[in-house]
Amino acid sequence: MECDSLIKLIDGMASEFLFLETREIDVPTAGKLLNNLDDIIKEADALEIGQLKRVAGGLSCLLEKIVLESIEDKEAGFNILEKGISLLQEIGDSFRNTGGYEGDIDGFMGSIAALTGDHITDDVTEASKEELQPSEKAKVRDESLLRDFIIESLEYIDEIETNTLNLEQEPENKDHINAIFRPFHSIKGVSAFLNLEQIRDLAHDLETLLDQARNDELSMTSQVIDVVLDGADALKAMITRLRDDLEGGVPGPLEIDISALRKRIKAAQQRISDTEETKKLGEILVEDGAVTQESLEEGLKAAQAEPSKKIGEILIDKGKVSPKQVSQALRKQSNRAMDTATIRVDVKKLDDLIDMVGELVITQSMIRQNPIIQSNVDRKLAKDISRLSSITSELQRTSTSLRMVPIKQTFQRMSRLVRDLSRKVGKSVGVVMEGEDTDIDKNMVDEIYNPLVHMVRNAVDHGIESGKERIKSGKPEKGLVQLKAYHRGSNIVIEISDDGKGLDRDKLLEKAIENGIINSSHGLSDQEIYKLIFHPGLSTAKEITDVSGRGVGMDVVKQAVEKLSGKIEINSVCGKGTSIMTFFPLTMAIIDGITVRVGKERYIIPTIAIKQLLRPPRESYNNVAGRGEMINVMGDLMPLVRLHKFFGIECEHKNPWEAIVAVIEGEDRSKCVMVDEIIGEEEVVIKSLGEGLKDIKGISSGAILGDGNVGLILDPEGLFELSEM
Amino acid sequence: MGSDKNMKILIVDDFATMRKVIKNLLRQIGYQDVTEAEDGIHALKELKTQKIDFVISDWNMPNMTGIELLRAVRADSELSSLPFLMVTAESLKENVVEAVKAGVSNYIVKPFTAEVLNEKIKKIIEKQ
Repeated sequence: MECDSLIKLIDGMASEFLFLETREIDVPTAGKLLNNLDDIIKEADALEIGQLKRVAGGLSCLLEKIVLESIEDKEAGFNILEKGISLLQEIGDSFRNTGGYEGDIDGFMGSIAALTGDHITDDVTEASKEELQPSEKAKVRDESLLRDFIIESLEYIDEIETNTLNLEQEPENKDHINAIFRPFHSIKGVSAFLNLEQIRDLAHDLETLLDQARNDELSMTSQVIDVVLDGADALKAMITRLRDDLEGGVPGPLEIDISALRKRIKAAQQRISDTEETKKLGEILVEDGAVTQESLEEGLKAAQAEPSKKIGEILIDKGKVSPKQVSQALRKQSNRAMDTATIRVDVKKLDDLIDMVGELVITQSMIRQNPIIQSNVDRKLAKDISRLSSITSELQRTSTSLRMVPIKQTFQRMSRLVRDLSRKVGKSVGVVMEGEDTDIDKNMVDEIYNPLVHMVRNAVDHGIESGKERIKSGKPEKGLVQLKAYHRGSNIVIEISDDGKGLDRDKLLEKAIENGIINSSHGLSDQEIYKLIFHPGLSTAKEITDVSGRGVGMDVVKQAVEKLSGKIEINSVCGKGTSIMTFFPLTMAIIDGITVRVGKERYIIPTIAIKQLLRPPRESYNNVAGRGEMINVMGDLMPLVRLHKFFGIECEHKNPWEAIVAVIEGEDRSKCVMVDEIIGEEEVVIKSLGEGLKDIKGISSGAILGDGNVGLILDPEGLFELSEM
Repeated sequence: MGSDKNMKILIVDDFATMRKVIKNLLRQIGYQDVTEAEDGIHALKELKTQKIDFVISDWNMPNMTGIELLRAVRADSELSSLPFLMVTAESLKENVVEAVKAGVSNYIVKPFTAEVLNEKIKKIIEKQ
């Protein structure tokens, strides 16, 4: 008979039920029964046995309620289940024997409704929450947990920002929505445990908003994205306050007023979009097979031919698919499973490790250069020592790389900045990033942030023209800021370019002459003219805007860059745009230096500051009245700085033409520093001189040299100031 | 059942702090042997390389969600009877029912106390 398999299913379930040890349905049992019932419903549906389907459906509903613990009278629930299963058997048997069932099931269905009825409105969430209300005891304020939460949440919020910006580029991509949803969800989960109610509430609201977007109940318009970004900012502010509070810092109210923000979130939720309709249309298209593989590939090809347009747009334009379908296809794209396991390590521990490795390298080098070892004739010892040194240098390389992080995060913050700024000034500006996986020392990341911000601001505010101007000069209305990073030697180069109006060479000159910075433009290369913007107080903006200007010019940027032993260069084409290149050392732990000797002392001059090393011919030396000793270096008169004078030591050569001079670049001037001998170029591990010797002018820090002697690292700017006193 | 306290529990959650919260709660109720994984993929790797007696997994994770992990565990002949406790944020009806049908041992709603966690674990172990 047709219904044999159905009867088998019902009997199987009945016997399973019969062998239950207790009169209580636990979760795994409920699972099995629910699956059984699903099968029965399917089968009954196929055989068009309505009564059976109804009873099985009712039982499913009852079981779900039992699982969700929303039925108080568990015994009654079990009884009904028992009765229901007999009823299923009865109906099944009757169908097999007579092809129909005459009995009444309404009474039974009524008893299910009576038991579950109060809860049939799906309001299970509340019921379960009530049951699982945490006790006060569990909410102990655990400081170490709080700290972890703060660090991790802040990281997650940064991710939210990034992903939100990605989402703005591809609003249909569910991966981006998911990636934003998840951190809010996690933050909510943990904050609930930690009793951080305000954070939990806000995270919950944002999570709900994104959940709607995930389920296509809401489209991610730029208003919604704004709300999400503001929400992330508010969360960040709250968590930062929590951190300050924990560190015993500024006593201030932990709570901030988020009621307005929560209202905005609620309002955004109300604006349920019309995607519902398109979604249905899309589903129909799929069901009808209207969207074939071919048309998708066609779209892909078209997208390649037209890079400014996204695949989704093209497919939609062509009427092949709805936005919904595109997003589903995107979701199916394999989630790039990151297969590298990572662990989280305290930065302090890492710093200590790197410090110790630095010491090890030095000690190793001291042993190697020890006279006893040097005069060693034992081949095995020589071999072992050379092995030791290769291991230690490898160890140093690896440990330094531990602290390296991709510049990506910094770039993404910039990209957010561009977004916010361009809105503020009413321009449309896009961001392109290149080389965001370039590594940089984590300790450098924070340091370079401010100078970069300033340059990005300049680009958006002064560099890029208004939409109207751009159109007039034949450019696309949307401006472009390009962030680029790459390694060059032991430097990371960060380029910030814009396709704006570029620097006005003539205006720059005019102003520089007006301000007495230069006398005439005679003999100045374009490069040198552009460099004038690094002069204090020279700004080419006609009016001071809210975004930049305000008296803080590029001179501050240059100073900040140089403080980090960095270098800055500028290129510009009038009408085409400006590009600023900054060179930063990869790490603040090591610098490239030239070791020089003055008398018996050794100093290290940062390589980046050295323009030239030379032994000046006798005739280039002048003692100019009122200006002191000068050296003529290829036509430029530069003051001579005698190092030994400032550090109270004896030098070997008194005359510059017998010694060596290093042409060193300071903030806005170059000078010749006289030394006795160049010893060599090496990477040195920077050692802080400690609190007591922190503020010695002309010396930035110390280093232990390969032979075990201590060398001092010179600070060009400090040295210049010393010489001008 | 004194020996149960010695069982090895795998906590799966992408949020490290959450894993720590659960670990602390487990410690409070006497479970010391805990190992962690940040998503379903890593959890499966752990399950394949060491003997795990009990899994506590979050629902929402990147790469491989809790329900996908559960399905993978139940489909694996060696792991199919492994106790599996699912952590959900709210008892969203569809989520819980989906997990139950996929063969979850039990579920627990965030936030929860050590007592509730203990009860859930005990209930699951008793049935094993």
